[in-house]
Amino acid sequence: MSSGVSLTPVDNAIDSESTVTPIDGDAVIVNMEDRLDWSEVATAVNTQARVIHALIMRETLSRYGDHKLGFIWAILEPLLFVSLLAVTFSYLRSDSPSGMPLVPFMISGFVPFLMFRNCMNQLKGAVASNRTLLGFPQVTIFDVIAARVLLEGAVMGFVFAFILGMAHLIGFEVRIENPLGVLMVSVSLLALGAGLGFFLGSVTPIVPSVGQISGILFGRPLFLTSGLFFTASSVPEPFRGWLLYNPIMHLMELMRSYFFYEFESEHGSWVYAGSWVLGMLAFGMISYQALKRRAIIGL
Amino acid sequence: MISLQNINKRYKTAAGIHTVLNNVSVDFPKGHSVGILGMNGAGKSTLIRIIGDAEPADSGRVIRDAKVSWPMGFTGGFQSNMTARENARFVARIYGEDPEYIELFTQEFSELGKYFDVPLRSYSAGMRGRFAFSVSLACNFDYYLVDEALETGDARYREKFRRAFEERSENASVILVSHNENTIRRNCDMAAILHDGKIDMYDNLKEAMRFYKLLQTKAA
Repeated sequence: MSSGVSLTPVDNAIDSESTVTPIDGDAVIVNMEDRLDWSEVATAVNTQARVIHALIMRETLSRYGDHKLGFIWAILEPLLFVSLLAVTFSYLRSDSPSGMPLVPFMISGFVPFLMFRNCMNQLKGAVASNRTLLGFPQVTIFDVIAARVLLEGAVMGFVFAFILGMAHLIGFEVRIENPLGVLMVSVSLLALGAGLGFFLGSVTPIVPSVGQISGILFGRPLFLTSGLFFTASSVPEPFRGWLLYNPIMHLMELMRSYFFYEFESEHGSWVYAGSWVLGMLAFGMISYQALKRRAIIGL
Repeated sequence: MISLQNINKRYKTAAGIHTVLNNVSVDFPKGHSVGILGMNGAGKSTLIRIIGDAEPADSGRVIRDAKVSWPMGFTGGFQSNMTARENARFVARIYGEDPEYIELFTQEFSELGKYFDVPLRSYSAGMRGRFAFSVSLACNFDYYLVDEALETGDARYREKFRRAFEERSENASVILVSHNENTIRRNCDMAAILHDGKIDMYDNLKEAMRFYKLLQTKAA
């Protein structure tokens, strides 16, 4: 339509300069044909770090407020949760499972499970509650999700250490056989939650019912079947086999093996749990990659 | 300069594939403020989002050798549960500016008073506009991408913004999207018309307006 008009459009011919240097950090050139330029990579990494930092600051603010009380609540909530459950279960069963002291047994189950669950839940809503910020070109869904994973990992790591420290001070004996192993299992749980969260975070904006179903599925049923307050060997056989399909059950067994001198699990398998974690992460990333455009627009 | 080269963009809709930009190549020269005219649904907002890298094109490339703002508009970028102060600091961080400076400049320039520490959700449209422009001015961009938001806010403040803007207009440009001819006449010295997936650039506003009127009457 607009062609063939007698008016004079400005000449839009493009001069063939293709190597323009960025003036500033954010003047990134979209240029796919040229060779990889490391200064551009450095700029991009720098931008990403800045954005994630800004998002973590924002998350911290909106979650805990500017009051110190907000952060105290972040610790208090799992602390109350764990102590309530520890007290309840110590009344229900007086014997400690497989010779492990009861309170550290509870702590080593609940807090790592919260790492998984909180991470997943935080990621599920990550896109929806940050959608307006995605209007900034630097901010991507990846940044939004990464910021939440990092914040959640830091908070829960601190909570884990804090609660164990408290338990030790109160007089329960907390001796960790293999701290590095405990860290590895914790990171695996966080990663499993992140993988699932990536998936839910990209799918939920498009299909909201997936979020609701996952809320039911990964709520109480998972809580009861992940070995938080029992060991695999204490469960009779047909059920034990079923429970061991759950990768979190494996991670819990491994966690207890690393944590306690008294306990070595014969059921926890790194191969099984590790494949789940890596597979879940890959699956989460792929669904994110496939759906990110639609997740932003919300179609 | 911002240069779009062979940009294609389509949307899948229920009514079939809608082509917004069909192999578009256009330059936005530095120091010129360009108004982009187009009918409703012509793809003006999509265009400005592609210019601002808020949305990827299907193919083609965008060259930006300047500091380009985010696309400011109705949907633009702020968290409504955060205060203006927090939002300003957030913007400063993601653009790598000094948060203290951005915060102070924005507070000073936006004249929001005590509202500067109130979450954005309780702002009027005019106050939001004032805040958005103040932050972007603080960041000192070369290109300001504006999506039909200039008309918010009272006349006195609009004048203040325009004056502040003109002070740096040798190296700052606006790319303004609107279907309101008056807005473009007041703020721009060049115009582009987006129609049928093509863009035509005019360095003469009058000609652009005349052609745009022609299009409108033809559509009606």
